[in-house]
Parts: sequence; C-alpha cells; structure tokens
Amino acid sequence: MQFGMILLVLVIACSAAGSLIVQQREPMEYVNRYGSQTAQLILALKLNDVFSAPYFFVLMAALCLNLTLCSILRLPRTMKAAQQLRTNACGVQPTSALEQGQADRLCGLLKKRHFRCEECDGRKIYTKNLFGFYGSFLTHLSFLLVLVVGAAAVVTAQVTDQTVMPGETLVLDDGASITVEAFQIEDATGKLDYASQLVMKSADGKREAAKQIRVNEPLSFEGYKVYQQTYGTAGSVLIHNNLNGASEVMTLIEACFLTLDGKNGMFFQALYPGYVTDADGSVTLITSTSGDYSDPVYDVLSVSAGMMTPVLAFPGETLTIGDVSFTLQDPVSYPGLRIKHMNTAILGALYAVFLLMVAALYLCFFTVPVAVAVTQDGYAVLAPKTQTGLLIDIQSCLEEEE
Amino acid sequence: MEILFFASIVVYFAATMLQAVGVALRKEKLCRAARIAFAVGFALHTIFTAWRGIAAGRLPLANQFEFASGFAWSAAIMGLVLYARLKQEWVLTVSMPVAFLVLSYAAFQPMEIKELMPALRSTWFALHIGSATFSYAAFAIAGGLGAHYLIQLKKGHAESEIRMKQTDYMAYRLICLGFLLLTVVILSGAIWAEQAWSRWWSWDPKETWALITWILYAIYLHQRMRMKWQGRRMAWFAVIAVFCVLFTFAGVNKLLPGLHSYAV
Ligand code: HEM
Repeated sequence: MQFGMILLVLVIACSAAGSLIVQQREPMEYVNRYGSQTAQLILALKLNDVFSAPYFFVLMAALCLNLTLCSILRLPRTMKAAQQLRTNACGVQPTSALEQGQADRLCGLLKKRHFRCEECDGRKIYTKNLFGFYGSFLTHLSFLLVLVVGAAAVVTAQVTDQTVMPGETLVLDDGASITVEAFQIEDATGKLDYASQLVMKSADGKREAAKQIRVNEPLSFEGYKVYQQTYGTAGSVLIHNNLNGASEVMTLIEACFLTLDGKNGMFFQALYPGYVTDADGSVTLITSTSGDYSDPVYDVLSVSAGMMTPVLAFPGETLTIGDVSFTLQDPVSYPGLRIKHMNTAILGALYAVFLLMVAALYLCFFTVPVAVAVTQDGYAVLAPKTQTGLLIDIQSCLEEEE
Repeated sequence: MEILFFASIVVYFAATMLQAVGVALRKEKLCRAARIAFAVGFALHTIFTAWRGIAAGRLPLANQFEFASGFAWSAAIMGLVLYARLKQEWVLTVSMPVAFLVLSYAAFQPMEIKELMPALRSTWFALHIGSATFSYAAFAIAGGLGAHYLIQLKKGHAESEIRMKQTDYMAYRLICLGFLLLTVVILSGAIWAEQAWSRWWSWDPKETWALITWILYAIYLHQRMRMKWQGRRMAWFAVIAVFCVLFTFAGVNKLLPGLHSYAV
C-alpha cells in the first residue's frame, strides 16, 4: 500500500479508538471501566485524549504534507495529459474494428452523449470533459484548504461564555454591547423554547441588531455570533433598610450572606424548584433539573444575635432580621450566552472551500475526461481505465442493432 | 396509516422473493411480477412517508425510525431509476433486499411521531439528513452489487464478461455518488453544528464514524483510480465497507451515545 493510504488507515484507527474509548475523563474512571492494566495502557498511549494527542497532530501534518507533495508533483503531468489527449487521439491506431455503417452509429451515440467533434487527419475526434483532468487535483486542494482554513477559523475565533440577567446589558472589550431584553423557557403555547430577546449595538451605538435567539438561531452582528448556550434560574430578593427607607433588589445565584452590620442578616443557601409534603406534614425539597420552578422554595438561614435559624421561605414572604426586611421574590430565569467573534473573511473563505470541495468531487466523478478517435474501419477510446462505462455503452450500441 | 408501512414491508419482501426465484429459475414472468410488486411497495412507502411528513408538520427524517425508512425509500428509488435506465435485472436483485431489510430494521424502532427538538429545527436539517439517506443507500446497493459480483464469480462466470464488468462499474459509480453525498453530509453537518452549538466539529461519535466511513471510501476510490484495482478485490472492499456504513447508521446510536443521541 502506498504511504498516503497507510496514513489514511492510521487516521481511521485513531478515530475509531477515540470514539470507542471514552475521552477526557479522570484517570480513575478508566481504572473503574477497563481495569487497572488496560487503564495504564490507555493513559500511556494517550488513548484517553486521542484527538489532542501529539501523534494525532503529527499524523494529520504528515497527511497534509504527503498530499501537498503528491498534488504538486503530479500537477505538471496532469496539465500535460490534458493537453495531449487531443493530440494523442489524432495519432492513435484504432484498437477496435468497426464494420460497415457502424462508424456512423458510433458517431451518433457520441453526439447524443454531448461529445465535441473535431476533424483531424481525416478522422473524427470526439472529446468530452477535458477540464475533468483537474478534478483530483482540485479535490486534494480543497481537502487541504478545508483543513487549513478550518484550523484558522477555530484558532482565530474568540469565544466567551457569559450569563446575563434579563434587563441587563453586557459591554464587550471593543465597546459593543448586548442587552438581554427578555428570556423565556417556554413559548406562548407551552413548548420548550429557551429563547432570549437580544439587542446588540456597535461600539459607537450607531448600528444595532435585534433578534430572538435560540438553538440554531444565533444573532450575527459585525463578526459576532451570539448563541443561546445554557440557562439557569436564580432567586431574587427585595432588601429594605428600615432605618433609612432604602430598597434594592438582588439576584441570588450562589450561596451568600446578606447583612448590613456583618453580624445579623440572611444567609441564602439555595433555591429549590419545588417540594412535597409528606403525610406527617414534613417537607421534602425537590432538586429537579428540568428547568421548571413550579413551587419555588428558598432555603435560607436567619442569622440574628449569634443564632442561626433555618427557614424555608416562599416567594412573597418577608423575613425581618434586625433593621432589615428581606422580601423573597419570584425566581428569574436567565440565559447563558456564548459570544463568538470570528474574522468574517476567514468565515467566508471556509464556506467557499466547502463549496469548492463539493464542486471538485463532482468534477472528479461526473466529468471524467475522455477522447474517442473514430475512423471508417475502427475506433479507439483514450481515457482513464475507469471509463469502463463508456466502453460498455459503445459495445452495447454496436451489438444492439446487429 | 401505519398499515401502509407494514404493507410496504410485506410487498418489498414479496418482490425480493419473486425476484430471487425468477432469477434462479430464469423465469422472466416472475421477474416482471417482482418488478411490479417492488413498484407497488415503493408507491405505498411513498404515501406513508408523505403522510407522516404532513402529520408531523416537518420532514419525516428526525429519528432512527424515520431515518431508516428514508434510507429504505432512497434504496428503492435508486434501484427503480437505475433499472429504468439500464434495464438490467441484477440492479433490482440487489436493491430489493436492501430496501426490504432496512425497512424491516425500521419496524423495530419506536414509531411514534415526536415533536422536533429545538436543535433539529434548522434549514440545514433537510440537506444534512436527506443526503445521508441517499448516500447510505448508494453505499448499501454498491455493497449488494459487490456481493452479487462475488457470487457470480464463485458460480464460475454464470453471467457474461460484459455483465460482470457492468456490475463492477456500477458499484464503483454508486460509491462515487455516495462519497459525494457523504461529503455534503459532513460539510452541512459542520455548518449546522456551528449554528446550533457554536462548534464546527466536536469528535462526537456519529461525526467520527461518518469521517471513518468517508476515509474508508476515499481509500476505495484511490485503490480503484490509482492502483487500478477492479473486480474481485473491489467487490470485497465494497461489501466490507457496508458494515462500516451500518455501524455509522445504527451501531453508533445504540452503542456510543453523544450529541446525536436524539436519533435513537
Ligand atoms: C477526499 C479525500 C481525499 C483524501 C484524504 C486523499 C488523500 C490522498 C493522499 C494522501 C494521496 C497520496 C497517496 C500516495 O501517493 O501515497 C492521494 C493521492 C491521490 N489521490 Fe487522493 N485523496 C482524496 C480524494 C481523492 C479523490 C476524490 C480523488 C479522485 C479522483 C483522488 C485522487 C488521487 C490520485 C489520482 C492520487 C495520486 C497522486 C499521485 O500519484 O501523486 N483523491 N490522495
């Protein structure tokens, strides 16, 4: 087997290993799954992270190099072959004999197949798809370009994940801003939707785009793409200072101690989506991950005079601790956004090379170059060996009417 | 309407049997009956698929059942079109069992119509999955032609030299078509993944196995075009490669869940 094909077989072997063995887990998980000896082997060969292992990069690099060299070395030969096909057809000796009248029938078949006809030294030369000579070169070129431009697209993209509360605005490093106007888990009909209504503005505030984003429908704006990536639900509390009358609403995402004097206050532990009351009246909290907060319960500690009292509070309830009142609010759902900045030229190039690859393969497979020289008593087909189809057609055409 | 689905399986089976007996006994009448049955089965299958699309309000290719049914439908239409063009019995001898077996596999999958999950609501969906059904069907028929070639060879050239060459060549052309379509599947999948999850490629098992299948067929094409392999060796290759297609199609969903696990 040739070197290039061996490299391709090795890519298959690595990919198969990378999909059959779970990737990027803790070493202990491999020991539990496969036993300690196999786990050692997996870790030593880096089969736990094949696609970022150095040998995988070396393999891909070798494949690219081999393909580049093959294609470059072959190109002059390809160009020469493309030019010479017609000349060769002019001088070639017929390889198959034609009986009386068969030449016309053959010419008819070739014309029907959209061959171009030329006269040369008293014989007819039929050619088709001469550009197809470049099919495999273009296929290889497009394959290399997909790898190179794809790698450039991945390396140059800047990606940040950010949670933004509805009503808040996130200002990016270059001054552009994203405002989350609203976020909904379900649409009006009750179907799961996970959609954020966004407004994105350029740094100078002159240009803006608004869109409701959801899976598959990111917002694209001046090289940015904003994705609806995750979501979460947070608690919310209205804090009222009874001494000076000041109020403030705070979002409760993580455990925190809300206090004015550092001693007395409310310690927020967690927000639960629901609860069940047992026959004896005791309450069991539910930890569901479905995103549905049907009966939300706040698990808090009331901290006062050095005493901590656990409290289960419902939205609307107020806890007054010292001089501060804490009124627990309905929970708010918020989106986790992924903000990706990509060079638009690279993105355009990537789409272009994708198209080039499909076009090149089409050229390779469906526009196979061929020339047929026809004299009164014989013919010859000049084409790659894979043109068996044409040879069969010619034979059947000649046999048919005999 | 499910009755249409089961009716098409039965009719495809009848067509396969009639064709097998007709070819074995060289009875043209039986082969003609098989062709008619196959066309009827295909018509029933088409009506069922169209009904399901209308009932679901989307392209009926969203889960393993629908995808398998689409795969069988693609194999049937490819067989019928090739037969219409080539008028060669062996095209149907191979595509009939492919359509029957794949549709029977579909019958073992959960059939209820489910709402399309958000990640599948995309314009790339039609291109990505539509090309996959045709690509798999092309590879499966090519594998069937490979098997047919090997059986004929074993029988000691029961078919004429030209017929053997035609079978060999047709398998190669179908692999070219399947390869082109699989390229479209992979590229449109990458664009879609970027739209849905912001990543072009994540080495998810389904992606990885589609790539493995693609490389395997690239090797087939190189051996054919560069090393001028033909006949027996290529027939074996086409047969063996079908197992890789089948693993990508069904095995990955069952054994290696990942981002594509909705397809179970
Ligand atoms: C699609 C993915 C493809 C990959 C990854 C690929 C890879 C390669 C590699 C690595 C080689 C070098 C082999 C060697 O000389 O050792 C090669 C050679 C070659 N490939 Fe491809 N190829 C692809 C597609 C195609 C297609 C579709 C054609 C179709 C016509 C093709 C035609 C050729 C030819 C003619 C050579 C010989 C080059 C020479 O002799 O220098 N390749 N390919």
